[in-house]
Amino acid sequence: MSLMIGGKLIVNRLFVGTGKLPDYSVIKRMYEELKIEVFAVAVRRINLEKGTKYSILDFLPKEAKIMVNTSGARNHKEAVKIALIGREITNSDWVKIEISGELKYLFPDNEETLKASEILVKEGFKVFPYIFPDLVLAKKLEDIGVSAVMPLGSPIGSNKGIDCETLLKAIINEIDIPVIIDAGIGKPSHAAKAMELGADAVLINTAIATSFDPFLMAKAFSMAVSAGRLAYEIGLPKEQEYASPSSPLADLIRGETK
Amino acid sequence: MIIYVNDKEINFEGNIKELLKFFNYKPEGIAVLVNGEILKREYWETYKLKEKDYIEIVTLVGGG
Repeated sequence: MSLMIGGKLIVNRLFVGTGKLPDYSVIKRMYEELKIEVFAVAVRRINLEKGTKYSILDFLPKEAKIMVNTSGARNHKEAVKIALIGREITNSDWVKIEISGELKYLFPDNEETLKASEILVKEGFKVFPYIFPDLVLAKKLEDIGVSAVMPLGSPIGSNKGIDCETLLKAIINEIDIPVIIDAGIGKPSHAAKAMELGADAVLINTAIATSFDPFLMAKAFSMAVSAGRLAYEIGLPKEQEYASPSSPLADLIRGETK
Repeated sequence: MIIYVNDKEINFEGNIKELLKFFNYKPEGIAVLVNGEILKREYWETYKLKEKDYIEIVTLVGGG
């Protein structure tokens, strides 16, 4: 049931992005009560007026895995720089490469992501590239030694769920490194669906962080992820066109002889 | 001497460590870039700030 990824054994296959969280103290509760172990964070300039009074680092449990996201990077050079800064601050070598190629859908620039991945794998990082679901790119990334690929389900923050099932299924079936479905998962049923497809994990941010109760919503997603994964591991039944009765067809009560 | 810190123009003499003190920042949990390049912690006292240096002080924030 556990997942070996980036050199670490992970029990909870729900990874949580911490953007837009109204209160960072919920991170500790997610770690302690829900056993969520992987948290994504971003790198930004300090606001000179607000200062560093409340750093997210103060709320991240020491044993949790910090995944530094390069969001905001426009090309591979900026992504590499953000990764190096992240490692300098956190000592964590897990980096999610996110390079937006355009701003309306925030679709990732797959070419720049490949370039950044090559450099950061050589620099000794555990590299988690956020990609458009392209099997050919996923294979190239696997060849250069990334720790997992993170194809999108649908646009970041859109809550539209798994919008490109066939493309995701192809990646899940054809590569041997873990596949984490990232972005667009809006409901627990979407997360369960991702896991039933055979994803190794999901990364969820907006749907949890912007909910009325982020802790309870994380719990709901965590349950869905476990349920979907368990069903996948047992093996899901095949679909068929027509009904197949669940109750026996013999010895029916009829009230008269045939 | 005029330098820029996170786009704010300030008049300052000293090293990076003193600059952080000037802004009342704890040195933990942050990184410093000088003219776009990371300045490792071990050089915070020895790097000589120059006129018009563009300093960026960065930290971790919530992100996906």
